[in-house]
Formats: sequence, C-alpha cells, structure tokens
Amino acid sequence: MNSLEGETEAALDTSLFKEIARKSLVDALNAVNGAKTLVLDATLAGPLGLVTEVALLKHHGVDKMFWLEAGPLAATTSNIVYLCRPLIKYVKIIADQIKRHAQQSPRHTYTLLLVPRVSALVKSVLEEEGVLGDVTLIPYNLQFIPVDEDVVSLEHDAAFKEIWADGDETVIFDSAQALLTFQKLYGLFPRVVGKGDKAARLATLLSNALHQARSDSPPDTLLDRSDKIDALIILDRQVDPITPLLTQLTYQGLIDELIGIKNSHVDLPASLVSPPTNDQTTSPSTSTTQTPQPSMRKEAKKKYHLSSTDHLFAELRDRNFSTVLKRMNKIARRLDEEVKASRQARSIPQLKDVVGRLGSLQAERQSLVLHIGLAEMLVPITNTEHFSKALEIQQNLLASYRTSDQLVAIEDLIAQGADFETVLRLVCLASVTTGGIKPKTLDGLKREILQNYGYHLLPSLLALSSPSLSAIVPNPAPVSAAQPVKYPFVALRDTLRLWIDDSGESHDEAETDLSYVYSGYAPISIRLVQCLTQRDALLKRSSEKGKAAEAMQPDGEPDKLQAHPIVGWKGFEDVIASIPGEAVDIIQAPARGSQLSNSVRFGEKESITVVFFLGGCTYTEIAALRWVARQNKGRKFIIATTSIIRGSSLIDEIAGVNKSIGSKDAGI
Amino acid sequence: MPDHPTASWQAMQDGNVFYRRQQLYSVPGKFPEFGDHISAGCRYGGPIAMTRDTTKLIALGRPTPTVSRAQIQVWSPSAVGLLLFSWDQGKIVRFGWTGDERLVVINEEGTYRIYDLQGDYQQYSLGSEASESGVIDARIHDTGLVALTGGLSLLEVKGWEGARTMTLASAAGLNQPPHSWAIIPPDLNISRHVQVLLSVDSTILLVDTLECLDQRISQGPFTHISPSPNGKTLALLTFTGTLLVISSDFQRHITEFDTSSIQADGTVRQVEWCGNDAILLTWDDLVVLVGPFADTLQYIYGGPVFAVSEPDGVRIMGPDTCDLIQKVPASVLSIFRPGSTSPASILYDAWQSFTDRSPKADDAIRSIRPDLASAVDQCIDAAGREWEPYWQRSLLNAAKFGRGFLDLYNPNDFVNMGRTLKVLNAVRFYEIGVPMTYDQYQYASPSSLVSRLTARNMHLLALRISSYLGMKPHAVLRHWASAKILKSKPTATLDGELNGDEEVCRAIVDKFKELGGSDVSYAEIAKRAWEVGRTGLATKLLDYEPNASDQVPLLLSMKEDRLALEKAVDSGDTDLVYTVLLQLHRRLALGDFFRLLEDGGEKLVPASRLLQVYAREQNRSMLRDFYYSDDRRVESAVLALDESTTMMDPAAKLTSVKSAQKFFSEDKDRGFEAKMMDEYGRLLALQQQLEKDADGRVVLYGLSVTETIRACLTNGLSKKADKVKSDFKVPDKRFWHVKLNALVEQQDFDGLDAFAKSKRSPIGYEPFVRRLLEHKHSKEAIAYVARCDSPKRADLYAECGDWRAAGKECKERGDRGKLDELRQRCKDSLALRDLDQIASSWK
Repeated sequence: MNSLEGETEAALDTSLFKEIARKSLVDALNAVNGAKTLVLDATLAGPLGLVTEVALLKHHGVDKMFWLEAGPLAATTSNIVYLCRPLIKYVKIIADQIKRHAQQSPRHTYTLLLVPRVSALVKSVLEEEGVLGDVTLIPYNLQFIPVDEDVVSLEHDAAFKEIWADGDETVIFDSAQALLTFQKLYGLFPRVVGKGDKAARLATLLSNALHQARSDSPPDTLLDRSDKIDALIILDRQVDPITPLLTQLTYQGLIDELIGIKNSHVDLPASLVSPPTNDQTTSPSTSTTQTPQPSMRKEAKKKYHLSSTDHLFAELRDRNFSTVLKRMNKIARRLDEEVKASRQARSIPQLKDVVGRLGSLQAERQSLVLHIGLAEMLVPITNTEHFSKALEIQQNLLASYRTSDQLVAIEDLIAQGADFETVLRLVCLASVTTGGIKPKTLDGLKREILQNYGYHLLPSLLALSSPSLSAIVPNPAPVSAAQPVKYPFVALRDTLRLWIDDSGESHDEAETDLSYVYSGYAPISIRLVQCLTQRDALLKRSSEKGKAAEAMQPDGEPDKLQAHPIVGWKGFEDVIASIPGEAVDIIQAPARGSQLSNSVRFGEKESITVVFFLGGCTYTEIAALRWVARQNKGRKFIIATTSIIRGSSLIDEIAGVNKSIGSKDAGI
Repeated sequence: MPDHPTASWQAMQDGNVFYRRQQLYSVPGKFPEFGDHISAGCRYGGPIAMTRDTTKLIALGRPTPTVSRAQIQVWSPSAVGLLLFSWDQGKIVRFGWTGDERLVVINEEGTYRIYDLQGDYQQYSLGSEASESGVIDARIHDTGLVALTGGLSLLEVKGWEGARTMTLASAAGLNQPPHSWAIIPPDLNISRHVQVLLSVDSTILLVDTLECLDQRISQGPFTHISPSPNGKTLALLTFTGTLLVISSDFQRHITEFDTSSIQADGTVRQVEWCGNDAILLTWDDLVVLVGPFADTLQYIYGGPVFAVSEPDGVRIMGPDTCDLIQKVPASVLSIFRPGSTSPASILYDAWQSFTDRSPKADDAIRSIRPDLASAVDQCIDAAGREWEPYWQRSLLNAAKFGRGFLDLYNPNDFVNMGRTLKVLNAVRFYEIGVPMTYDQYQYASPSSLVSRLTARNMHLLALRISSYLGMKPHAVLRHWASAKILKSKPTATLDGELNGDEEVCRAIVDKFKELGGSDVSYAEIAKRAWEVGRTGLATKLLDYEPNASDQVPLLLSMKEDRLALEKAVDSGDTDLVYTVLLQLHRRLALGDFFRLLEDGGEKLVPASRLLQVYAREQNRSMLRDFYYSDDRRVESAVLALDESTTMMDPAAKLTSVKSAQKFFSEDKDRGFEAKMMDEYGRLLALQQQLEKDADGRVVLYGLSVTETIRACLTNGLSKKADKVKSDFKVPDKRFWHVKLNALVEQQDFDGLDAFAKSKRSPIGYEPFVRRLLEHKHSKEAIAYVARCDSPKRADLYAECGDWRAAGKECKERGDRGKLDELRQRCKDSLALRDLDQIASSWK
C-alpha cells in the first residue's frame, strides 16, 4: 500500500494558500492597534479553522471572540473587529450592535473585515442604517483553502444555489480572482479547457482578470506559462447534474452523506475521538471527556479533522464502503502481527527498533479504533430500509430499468416518510435521467411531496423546475414555456460508458474502472476529465476489458501508460456538443515573446492538471479523480472547487432549509 | 577643472569625520525672504512651499506686491517658481508635503486640500469635531497627518484618499496647547502606528492610538522637538537653549549641547537633522551643525535660511545659494581623504599616474592586487556620491581602469551607475531643479522620479528617462494625455468643437499606439476629459477602453445608465453591478428604474437577478413592486408564500397564502400551483378550526397534511384524521403508514390490531413488523409475520427472535438452504437446538 501513498503525495505545495490566508489575516488584525474583540460569522469559522488557530489570533491581540449573532454585544475592549462575508443579514446585525453601543459612554472603534472583499452593497446597507461613518472597512481576501494535499476549496457552500437558483454570479467572479491568484503562485495555465455555460463565463472572466493584472506590474509568474501545470479544466455543475444526486458510496463520501463533513471536520462522539490521546489534529485539550459519565444529554460531540495526515484514513477514504471493512480487518491483523513480532524482540538492536516503532504503532492503533467506530456508526444506517430502497431506485434509474416503477417506489418512500432531501434527490434524478416525467405523474408526485412535507416547499419545487436548473421537468414540456435542451443521459450512458453493469462485488476490490465508486456508475464529470486526460480509457472500448485486466497486475508498474498531453476535446466533439452548455478551449499565451518551448514537454516529466468544479464537487468525485491519476504515470490532479457538496446539502440550500450551523464549540 | 572634492570638506571630531557643504545651485536673490515667510520643504530634493508670515511686519513701499489674501508659492530648489495660488478659505494653520510631492494645506476650519504641482486639488474635511472646535495645528508626514484641535484632541488621517479621521488617545494633562510637538510617522515605529510627542510642562507626552504615556523628562518645556529621519532619535531644544539628543524610546541620553555657547543673534529658527547623526540649528544668518559628540561646525549665510532634512543630509536654501550639507560618504572619504592609503585611493592614484603616463601606475595596481575588486566597487560608489560630473567621470574611469586588471568582474554595477548618473545629472539641471542624491534616488525609486517629472509637466524628459531605464511608458503617457486634454481648448463653433474632440482623441490614440502604451487606461483619461466638461471627447476615448469595469463609473456619471449597467454585467463583477444598481435606484424614479431593467432584455437579466437577491433581504416592498410592474405572477406568488412562512399571526398567514393562490391562478400555466395553494389555504383554515374544537390542547397550525393527520391520531382525534384524509384525498398507502407509525409510537397494540383487520392493508404487513421491530416490540411483531409474503417470513421471524417459527417456515417451504443459513446466524443456543431439531427431523 505504500506505493499508493507515494502516488498521492502532494503534487503542488498547496500549503502556500494557507500561508497567504494566514498572513493576510494577521496583517488585517495588525491594522487595528491594541487588544480587540473579534466577532466572527459562524460560517467562516470552519474555513478559518483550516488556515489558522486560536493561538495565532490571541497572539495578534484578539482578546475575546464572539459569534456574529443578533442581539447586543458586550465587548470589553475598545476595538471591535467583525469578520464576515458581505451578506446583508450580517451587516444588519452589525449595524444594530453599533447603534446599541452608541448610547454607551466608552466609545468603540469598529473594523469590519469582509471576505473576500469590500462590497458596494455592504457600504450601501451601512449607509442606510446610518453607521457607515463609524466603521472602517477592510477586505480580507480569503481565497482557496487547502482542505487536503491535493484539494483546494473556496469553501463557499451556497455556490450552486447562488449561481443557478438565484442567478447571483458573485462566486464566478470570486473564483476567477482565486484562480488568478493560483496563477500568480504557480504560473499561467497553458491551456484552459471547460464545459458548461458558467464554466465558459468563468473562463472569460479569468482571461479578463489576467489581462487586467498584466497591465499593472504583474509578477513574473503571470507572464510565463507554468512549467508544472499543463492545463486547467473547468466543469460547471450543470454539466453533470446527476452525480451529486446519487448516494455516495466511498468511505469518505458515505461519512459525508450520513454524518456530514463540514470543512473537513466531522462531528463524532467525544469518546471516539479522544481516548488518551496525543492526537495532534484535535488541539483542544479538554480531557474531561475521559470519564464516560452518562451526561444528562447525548454524549458530547467533538470535531475530528479528516485529512491525509491520518494515514489510515488516506488509505480508506476513496474505497467503496463495501470493501472498507475487509481492508480494516486486514490492517487489524497486520497490526496484531507487528505487535506480536515486537514481543519477540530479544537482542538490543531489535528492542531499539521496537521502541522506535511503538509510537507509530500506537497511533495507528488509535486511528484504527476511531475508524472502526465510525464504520460502526455507518453500517446500521446503510442497513435501513430507506437507504437501501433509495439506492435501489437510483441504480435502476441509472440503468433505465422499469422507470415508471421507480416513480411508484419513490411515492412509496414518501408515504413511508423518508427524508425530504432523499425524496427530492430521487425525483430530480428520475427527471434528469428519463428526460422528464409525465406531467400527470409529476403533478401527483409534487402533490405528495407538498402534502407530506408542507406546502411552503412549493417555491423550492418551482426553483428546481426553473429553466436554469431544470432538475424537475415535465415531459412533454408545456408548449408555452421555452424549455432548455434536455440532458441527454441515455445517449451519454453509451458514449461515455457511464453504467458498467458487470461490476459485481468481486470487481469492487480490484477497482478496474472508476465506476467502482458508485458500484457501477461512473460520474459524468470525471468521464469528461478522462476525455481530456486519459483518452484511451474511453476510445478503446472493444478491447478495453482485456487490457484493463492486464493493467491491474499487482506489480503493474510497466503497464502504466505515460499520460498524454491535453489536446482539448478532440475526438469527443460529438459527445461534448450533445451536453448542454458551451465548450471552452483556450490556449493562454505567455506575455513575452514566443517561449513556447518553455511549456510542458511530455516525456519523463510530470505534469499537473488542475480541475476546477464550479458549483462544488463531491468527495466521491475527488476519489474518482485520484483513481484516474493512478492509472497513468506523469499526471497528477489538483482539485479545486467552490465547496465540497453532497446532494442533500444542495437540496437544503435551494429549499432554504437552514440547518443550524456551527454550534458554540465550533473548531475555532 | 572644478574644485577638488575635498575643498568643501570640514573636519569634525578631531579630523575623524568630515562634513561637506555642496553648493547645489547659485540663486542670488531669487527666493523670497525666508525670514518673512513660513515655509515647508519636500524631501528628496523636492520643492518648497512658502506663504507670508502674517505675524511679521512688512515695510510699505517695498517693491514686493502686497496682497490682502494669503498666497502660497511653490519654488523648486533651484529657485524656479513652480506654482502660485491664492488661498480663499479659512486661515491656514499648516501646510506640508506628501510622500509623492503633493502639497497639503490645512485650515483652521478643519478642511484640507491636496494640491498637485499643477494647482489641481482635492478637498477633504477632518470631520465634525474638527470643524466645531477648530484646528490649531497639524503635522503632516508622507502618508497622513495628525491635527490638533481647539479641544486639544488629536485627530489622525491615514492616507490621502479622504479617509475617516481617527481620534488618538486623549492626552491627559494637556490643558493648553503644547509648547511644541512632533510626530513620528507610522513606518518608522515598531508599532507601525503614528506616535505624537507633545511638550507639556517640563515633560513630554507620547500619544498613540491606544494610550498616552508621560515620559517623565524634567528638562522641559521644549521649543523644538525634532525626530531624526529614521525615527530612532529625538532632538529637543529647551527654552534655555539646551539641545538634548535622546533615543526615541526615552531610555538613552545621547548628547547634550548648550546653544548659548554659540555667538548668534536671536533665537533658534529651526532644529533639523542632517542624516541620522548630526543636527542642524539655524539662526537668522548662522547655521550650526552639531555632531554626535557635541562638536560643531559653523556656516555663515547672508540672511535667513530654510533647511530641509534629508535622509542623507540637510538641504539649506539661503538668499544666495541652495546647499546640501552632509557627512562625507565612506567611499568618497576613503578615496579623497588626505593621506588615505585605502585600496580605492591607491587605485585612483594609479589611474591618475596612468593618465600622466607614469610607470607608478603599474606598481600601485600590483600593491593592491588582492583588494582590487573592492577598490573598483568603491570607486563606482564614490562616483555616485560626487556632484560634479567631472569627478564622477574620473572616478568611473578609475574604476574602469581597475577593472581591466580583473579576470572576472560583473560589470552590472558599473553600467547601472553610469546610467543612474546620467539620469541624476539630467534632473539636477537647474531648469529641472530636482537635486536628488544617489542615496535618495535609490530610496525613492526611479518610477517615483518619473512621476515627479510628469507632475511638473516635463513629459518628454520623463518619457526619455523611463525608456532609458527600460520602464513602461504608461505612467508618463497617462499624465501627458490628461495634460493634453486640459491644454487643448475646444474651439468655439459647434462644428469646430467636434473637430477639436476628434483631433485630440486621435492625437492621444496615435501617441499611445506609437509608444506602445497599450496598458494605459483610457477610462482614466476619459474621466479627466469628462471632469473638464469634454463629454464628447470622453465618450470617444472611452470607446478605446478594453476593460469594462473601468468604463462603468464614468458612464454612470455621464448618465449613460443602460450602457453602464451592461458594461457592469459584462465585467462579471457583481459588486460593480450592485454599485450601478444602487446608484440608479437612488437617482431614478422607481418606474424608470424598473423599465430600464425590463427593457434591457437578455443582457440585463443578471442585473435583474441580483436586484432580486438584494431586495429579498433588504427591500421587500421594492421587490413586490418590481414583480408587479413586470407582471411576474409566479415570482409575486412565491414572494407572498415566502413571507407567509415567517408570519406568526394566523390571519396574516392565511391572507398571504391566499394572495399567492391568486397570483398563481392568474397564470394559466400554473394551475397546479394554484390548486396547491388553494389546498394550503383550506388546510390552514381546517387546522384553525380543529385547534379551536380541541380548545387549544393540540397544536396543528402550520403542520403539513401528513403531520396534521399524525397529530390528530396521537391526540386521539382519529375521526378528524379521517376527515383530513378525505378532504385532502390522501392516498391510502400514506394514510396507512402514518396511522401505523402513530399507533406503534403510542404502543396502542389493540388499536393496531383493529386497524390491521379493518381492511386489507394497501401497504402489506411487512411494514407492521418492521415498525414494531424498530420500536423493539418483537413479541407484538410476530403476530403480523404470518400475514406477510411467504418468502420473507422466515427472515422476519428470525429478526423477531422467533427462531423456531422461522425454522418451521423453512420447512414448510422446503427451503433447506435458508435453514442452514439460519443455523449459522443464530447465536442463541436454545433456539439453535430447536433449529437443529427441525433440521434433523427434515429427512
């Protein structure tokens, strides 16, 4: 397994982003002299927790921290620093607090740090509230945050809803700015390939931003092509509306689906996270959880940071859950043997060796305990009727197996009182895969949903069926409305080999095709990436089976093909044209002269491809991309995304269901 | 041959340190009398601003024109008049220079203006507090100012963009204006925030944004406080004439000097620093330089002088000359110091011998062979610090000569120095009048030099210098274009004006193309044209601007609303779109505003969506109007419905739902939605009725249909539940599930039994078993297993824990495999025996 770890080694040093974010926060804080009270927007706490820690804030004069919540603010210091995204609701709270303070005698100075920039909107609202004169506005440009070695995220959770449901394209602009920063750090993307209308928009904004940045003394990196990165692939979520609707089945994906991962942290029972621990990832040293006293409420929850620093997790996270238990079993055995072996140590050098390994063994054992505990939490949920039923419906819909029966099955789920999100995901899936549901059936379904979950959800149904999302569409469409192009799922299933029927249990372990991640379904988004980076996998359809088997020989090093250069959508023009949305293929020229020779030479050299998901991506897609990277040598992926999503969070955003965010003990 | 460099040197500290007075310009009688004027000088060889000191008497009948109003004159160090303007505002309390050579003038009413060298200005205010209590004094540094108000509070302004004033900590113990005061600029402080030093009574108060510290010095009060250019040391002059030099943290006394030992008339006029280690005191016609060990050098001038402290010396403008006094730089000292035997000095001598064709040159070079490289470096460095081109040249020649003996030597320093000196000599020319030293040039950067030249309208020189130094020409071109627009007067006739615009525009565009100024922002220039009232020209220029976001603000101020909005949308910068939207919303009538968006069609859709996002949060009534005026029934309905969710009052909620229903019904494609809203309304009404019937024991209002049924059932209102079912045509399946759940949760097993038997279950009986099992009622569950589909029975029995029945079931169905599986799964030994029994009896 060591070879695998070696391969997932960081391709680019993404911690640079962390450094930038830290530094600009420190600078922003230092702009205010003296001790200050920090008032934090709770949705930013998670992202901030990934780049900084409380000690750093304290070190730079933060005396006390509060959540930004409606109601009065009791601050002891004269400086008050607000840190939030430029949303109207926050600004109103701030204005209210300032007005409350106005009557008090010790005057406060207010500084408002806005992520990622100061906006005219905020100014206008502050002006309307009459407090603009009291506040100093400073931008805090928090852009990409490294959530893992190969994943950077803007952690902008509502991106999908804002772009496609609200028509607010702020995120696209912010993404362009963030990608510009990316290029400032690592050099120009020699090629920008993309698919989808919003992806095209992003590509345009990106080249505008580049042009603008070049006009005033740009750093050298903006003039020359990167010698490491060979392309940026932009995919917008509408290009692949199906994947997030499915239940994720990889280990990490399933944790996200069933327990929920927030900013790479998962809430776990405290007893699971901190047995007598020297775990470096969870710093709070409240060892009160040691005594498992049955407290009056449920057991306290504690955050656990899921990242590749946990080696066991790094090994398990991308596996299909069906193979995870087997894997854990193997590891447990290996650990056991190692412990036994260590007992038999006799000679001094042997003992020395054993002592040296004790720490790592201990750590490994602890993380195994934790993950077994986690799996224990997951298994009962996967055994429930709703879960398996939903999964079955999904699989049938993907295979277009008796679609009308599936609609009936969805109705049954509604009758049984399944989750609103689950039901809506299924309805959307049914609509997209079949190209629309018969109006009468659809109305019936909608009626069931409204009666069961409340009529106030009607706007979300309308939003989902709006042309920009077209997740729920009637078929045939009503004549009056101009409906957009239907999503050609059935055709794509053939051309992109989205559904691999024969992947039974046995194949899962082998992971011969990336469809292992969904037990048979290959995510469209990743297939599109394959179109660009691993053409053989899709072109040689007939002979692929034999080849695939060959390629998976255990010591399969020589079988790995050298990755080929990215040549745009060549060879897949028809497929790409059939998917709604514009296709983009831009070659970014270096500013000075013709230094084409400087660009990536294919051969022994390793290249990095950046894949940007506009509107978010799932953990499973990340897993699938990592799988693609393992198939060839010479290419690694950096995954950049607006946020990491799951189907239910998308539905929640659109339905405006406000799952209470950030309890008081949030990470930071 | 000009004087030898050492001619201007004077020794201090027993000949260890030399200071030199370099005459920069000879300006006999050109400057106004410094004694009668208040002056402020700009660093780095910048100009000085002067205004008549109104406290001084002025003899009538003198040839100087007497003007009633205050006037400010700006002179270059070479006594060329740069600017003259009269001041029509309240009394000036202080003026000074910004880091980029702009003049800041503050008056007692708390307004301040920032003038560039062309006389254009921006005006800002220090805020209400300053205007109420008045400003009595101010201190200006490169990037901001601190003002002292009549109420004795200190106001700070950061930057020159009219930022909000901040109040510094109040100075306790300050009851009257301080005897004198000074500031240490933020970039010279450890805290990176400005510090104010106030001489109060016998001590000094140190004030910053946080606190006021009494430094407990007892020698005060002080007439002058002067921080050194690097901010590390302070020079303080007491009323009794003692000069104190202390570190700026007040921990170290460095030196003390009694000025009364100097035979001079009158009082000390200025205390300025010469570099960071000597202090210059000026009297009316005497200038005294005080060294670090209280040694002095005296210079006599023919009248009052004005001194400007520089980072590497001090510039003195007197009635006849403009001089620079500075410590002789180390490299120059090592070469020219009498009797110097440093390698650089020997190299220089060698070169001289060489030019004299003397063989000593070779010996000399040999003797310094190991140090030759550093000697060459020193010669290059010394060339940079000499004022006269003659000596610059000979020093560079010496360096070149030495270089010839080196195998490997990087010539970059040599080439750069040559280049730099060429530039410096050009700008030092008296018509240009920027006497920058090499050190100042290094400190201030070439681009700032270029912008200083453009500020003087010396575009050609600026352009030549920037291209000579390989810099982009856009800064110069931008300034040139604005100046061009200002200068070119539109001709009088209507036709002529058009031509004039065309001509200027073409001239600018051509020039930009010719000089490769593709990076110049046309928008900026267009803005300039618009500001001076050349709308036509502005529009023309704006067409050349490739960057949409730069066009927007100008378009907006030109009232090109539609175009501004379109460009903003194009730019993709939503904040820019908001800027435009909010401004238009403020300026236009609501109807016009909406019409603009509606008529915009496809292009403005993103703007209209953004407006909706904003209005939903901040301005609902506007949103309602917007939807209404655009006949957007569906959106109106959604808005009404959305509002209903937050409403507490039942009646209001019902009204909102009804209006949503009405909106939907007006759209013929929304029949389904209208029907749903109708149901919603009926549901709410029914819930109200039911609650009333139940005397408020049950809370139903706002629940969904299913939840209502469940609530009815759990509260024993099963009749009502049936009514809800029939009223809302709830399908049997759902009703059964709900009722099943409700009964199981209440553990009403008899009710459940009756329910199961009431008719054939539309959902089968497996859910009965499952639900009961979920609630751990396995005993009750067993009864229903028999009614399930036969293939599942065995497993269900097993799950209920009735292994025996499961076994029997297997036997009945003849499923041997299942039985074996059961036997494997079963952990209960008793049950296992039963299973084994069945298995054995099978045969």
